[in-house]
This record gives sequence, structure tokens and C-alpha cells, in this order.
Amino acid sequence: MTPNTVVKPIGFAIATILALALPWISPNLYYLHIFTMIAVYWILISTLNLLVGFTGQLSIGHVGLLAIGAYTYCLIAPFGGEWPYLALLAGGFIGGLIGLGLGLPSLRLPGFYFAMVTLAFGLIVSELALAEQWLTNGSVGLEAPSLPAPFNTQTTFHLFVVTIAAVITLMTWNLSRFMWGRAMISVRDSDVAAMSVGVSIFRTKLTVFVFSGVTAGIAGGLYAASQSYITPDAFIPDLGMFFFTAIIVGGRGVIVGPLIGTAILAALPEISGPFQRYGVLFNGVALLFVVLVAPGGVSELISTIHNRISGKGRRPAAPADLDVLKTIITGATVHVG
Amino acid sequence: MLLIIVNGLALGALYGMTAIVYNMQFSTSKVLSFGAGQYAMVGGVIGAYVTLHLGYPVWLGLLGSLASGAIFGWLSEFIAIRRIVRTSDDHLWILSTLAFATIVQQLTGIWWGTEPTPFPRVFEQGYAGVLDQKFWLPILTAVVMAGAIDIFYRKTMTGKVFLATAEDGLAARARGIGTDNVRAFSFALSGLIGAACGFSAGQLTFVNFALGSTLGLGGFVALAVGGIGSNAGGLIGGTLLGLLISFTSHFVGSQYQNTVAIGLLVLFLLFRPQGLFPKTFLRHV
Repeated sequence: MTPNTVVKPIGFAIATILALALPWISPNLYYLHIFTMIAVYWILISTLNLLVGFTGQLSIGHVGLLAIGAYTYCLIAPFGGEWPYLALLAGGFIGGLIGLGLGLPSLRLPGFYFAMVTLAFGLIVSELALAEQWLTNGSVGLEAPSLPAPFNTQTTFHLFVVTIAAVITLMTWNLSRFMWGRAMISVRDSDVAAMSVGVSIFRTKLTVFVFSGVTAGIAGGLYAASQSYITPDAFIPDLGMFFFTAIIVGGRGVIVGPLIGTAILAALPEISGPFQRYGVLFNGVALLFVVLVAPGGVSELISTIHNRISGKGRRPAAPADLDVLKTIITGATVHVG
Repeated sequence: MLLIIVNGLALGALYGMTAIVYNMQFSTSKVLSFGAGQYAMVGGVIGAYVTLHLGYPVWLGLLGSLASGAIFGWLSEFIAIRRIVRTSDDHLWILSTLAFATIVQQLTGIWWGTEPTPFPRVFEQGYAGVLDQKFWLPILTAVVMAGAIDIFYRKTMTGKVFLATAEDGLAARARGIGTDNVRAFSFALSGLIGAACGFSAGQLTFVNFALGSTLGLGGFVALAVGGIGSNAGGLIGGTLLGLLISFTSHFVGSQYQNTVAIGLLVLFLLFRPQGLFPKTFLRHV
């Protein structure tokens, strides 16, 4: 019984309650809107983290799946009458389906190829959203119906989004702790080791990708419902870059890190007002800084500091990756050469 | 009809040159950089800035453009590659080059503006239809560039040092070659090639801060079609892609450019992942 098994559930509960209580902590509607958006993004990012952080597949194009979810919601919700929730589910379903179609060819590719294909996928979706006017109304955009009665105010909508986010966080957390999480990490760190213990690499990648596609679709529907109007301009590649950066800045391979990253990266451009147009530049700088200085992200910094304070000395915070071992083994030959 | 073909060939030359940039960086560092298209963007912007804003003659603009490309090439190696290749994490260089490319693109967008602006005429020539310089300039640059690189690799000592580093970095170091410097130099050289590409492309694509990502994607498709490591393959792959895009733009609509590019990429990755002209690597077992 490690402290983690007690501390983490309590931390999760406190964070959820705090997020649910935000409308009363901060009655300012503008800030509340930002918090709601963070929760919407988090629905997407928490599972993208399984893909990027745990499985090591660097997808930059999830903004395409978000757009697909948003458009699906806008197209289907008007027919749902009192039940636009079905349109949310449909967005998730189609997001998962497209994720499957995208993942089947692309997940076989090595790192850079995969990143490039997903980046292009994001571009294609916004390109098609602009071109296929019969479906998406082109650059004019579509009207997005908001959710019906109990969730039509900003406060209740916030509660709705945060509840979904909490459920999905719980799912990703449970996935990452047990068999699937081990499988993902083994795929990321050494595919040979993964194969030798019977992990099907491709199936693991594909399952995680489809799961992230489903939640990206749901997040897209919620995004649309919160915006009341969507255009292709909303789904620029920069947004995909933001999702991706939030994970890397927060810390790959931990659940809570990307949440911090999302909050920082989403809130800063909003709060800094006149510097809003530097938002993407800031993403790039943050990404470069983290990669060069602290590859483990904010969460690694925090746990290092925490270990220093609690007297665990200079022991590395997270259990070392196989990479470290690889460096130790190969490092000798590299430096001699 | 002829115009569509010539336009496609010119576009293809740009993709082909970007593929050469990828190749040159990959050969010495084993890194495929997201920034490969950005040198062309920087070269174009600086060229237009020197000639249009500062009012200097065109040859100075070309010089400034080439210099800025080389400087950015060297900078990208210094900032985004050098510290990373020493660690064994394969993912980090994807992140660092992506971050560097984003920073360069955003800074240019903030400084220069996000609207495409016209590029000055390089030679005195009235508009000449198919024979206009905006078409033949990129094609000529690409062919001359590919030939020059070939001669550089075959005939000069520096070129041979490049090849040695590309073949086997460890053995090259054992022979006293400073592979870190070779890598830095190859990035500067690839930045220069990229800038030349951007300068020759200016009249065709306009000066656009988003050109880098377009060329980065198209150049990568050209690279994958031609096969990594082959400059000629990259040029041919680029030409194929350029023609394809030019034809679909004319007959279907220009909004499908990325879809066409990525369709070609996926087709090749599925059916001929080694590209048209695969370079065989010896692998030690």
C-alpha cells in the first residue's frame, strides 16, 4: 500500500470538486467561460495524452477530429429535438470511426512520418470544411444549437462538461495504471521488449488512437455547443499544436501534468489580453524550452522539487525510462567514438 | 494547358528543392526536420525586404536571402538539433524542430505580417506567359542546385567528408572528422538551398509567412515518393506532386491541394514505402 494509492484518489476528488465549484468560486462569467473551455480541451487532451505521452505516438492533428466532432454535432443536433446528447454521442462515434480510418495506415509509420500525416490530416479537414459547402456551409459556418433546459445556462453547462471530463479522466487514469498502461509504455520505450512479452504493438496503438478519436469527437460537440456558431477558421492547425504542446509542457506519461499544461497554455493568452496574437509563438517557445531544459515537463519539475523537500535527495523523480538504460549502455560507445 | 503543365513543373521544382533540404539534413544528422520548409519562407521574406523595403538592387536581395537562409540553417542546428542528438530519445528532435519551425514562422508573421505580398521581378522581362521567369526560375534553380550538389559531393574534399559522415558517423570520427561541425555546416548549406528555393519561388507563391509549412509538407511528400537519400528522386517526386496539384487545381478546384498531396503520400507509403529510388543502407547485425 503505497501512499499513492491513497493520495491520488483524494487528489482527484478534490480537483473534481474544485472544478465543479468554480462557478461559485469565480462568478465572473468570462473567466468561467475560459474554465469551461479548458475542461472541453481537457476531454480531448487527457486521451491524447494516452497516445502521445504513454504510447509515444506524436499526433499533431487531433484538431481535425475535434472539427469532425463539432460539425457532426451541428449537423445532427437539430434533428435530435430534446435530445442533442445523441448528437454528442454521434460525434464521438464518427470521431472514433475516422480515427480508425486514419490510424490504420498511419500508425504503421515511424515517428516523423506519423506526425507529418496527422498534421496533414488536420489541414485536410479544415480544407474540406471550407470546400464542401453543401455539408458544412463553407466559410460561413454552421449554427451550433446549445444544450437543452438543465444545461442551457453557463453554470450548468460548466457542471456538465466538468462531469464528463472527470469521468474521462478517471477512465484514462484506470487505463494507464493497469495492463493497458504497461502495454502502452512498453510500446513507447521499446517495441522489441513489448513484442517479447506478447504485447500487440499495432493493436495497442490503434485502440488508444480510436479511444482518443472518440473523446475528441465528444469534445468537438461540446466545443460547438459552447460556441453557438462554428466556422472552419476555428479549427486551424495552431489549435492542434496547442493540444500537443500542452501535453509536452505538462509532462509526458503522467495524468496530471498535461492538465497543468492545458491550464497554463489556455489561460495565459486569454489573461494577457493585448498579447493574444503571440499565443502560438508562446506555444512554440514553451515547447522548445521544455524539450531543451526539462524534457519531463512541468510535472517532472514539481516532483523533483517535491523530492528535494521531502528529503529523498537527488534520486530521479520518475522511475527511469528504458531510454536512460539505453543511454547508459550505448553512451559508452558513442563517447569513445 | 501548357500553362498548367509549366505551373506544375515550377511548383514541383519547389517541392523537389525542399526534398533536397530534407535529404541534406538527414544525411548528416539522421533528423527529418519540421523546419525544412521554413528556410524558403525566410529567404523569400528577406529577399523582398532587402529589395522592396530597403530599395537595394536585386543581387543584394539574393545575397541577403542566401545569407539569412544559411544563418537560420545553422541556428536550427545549434538550437534544436545539437543538444538533442546526443540523447537517445528519438522523439525529442521531432518536438524541437517543430517548436523551432513554429517560432520562426510566428516571428515572421508578427514582423512581416500575415498577408501574402508581391515579390520583385528578378530580371527585366515583360509578362511572357508560359516563358515567364516566375516559371522557369524555380525550375532552373532546382536543376542547377541538384547538379551543383552532385559535383560538391563527388569532387570536393568537403563533399567527401559529408559523405563519410553520412555513411558512418562513428567511423568518420575515428578518422578525425569533426562530425558536429559537419552537421552544423550541412544545416547551414541546406538553409542556403532553402533560401535559394524561396527566392526563386517568390514571384510564383508570393511572399507568405505560411509558405514554410506548405513547402515542408509538399517537400516531405516529394521525399517519400522519391525515396529518402535520393536528390534526383526528390526532384522527380516533387515534379509528380507539382503536376498533380496543378492539374487538380485547374480541373477540380484549388481547395484540395493538401488532400491531393497527402493522398499521394499515403498511396506511396502503402504500396511502395521505400520510394521510387530507394537508397540501400548497409545495416550491421
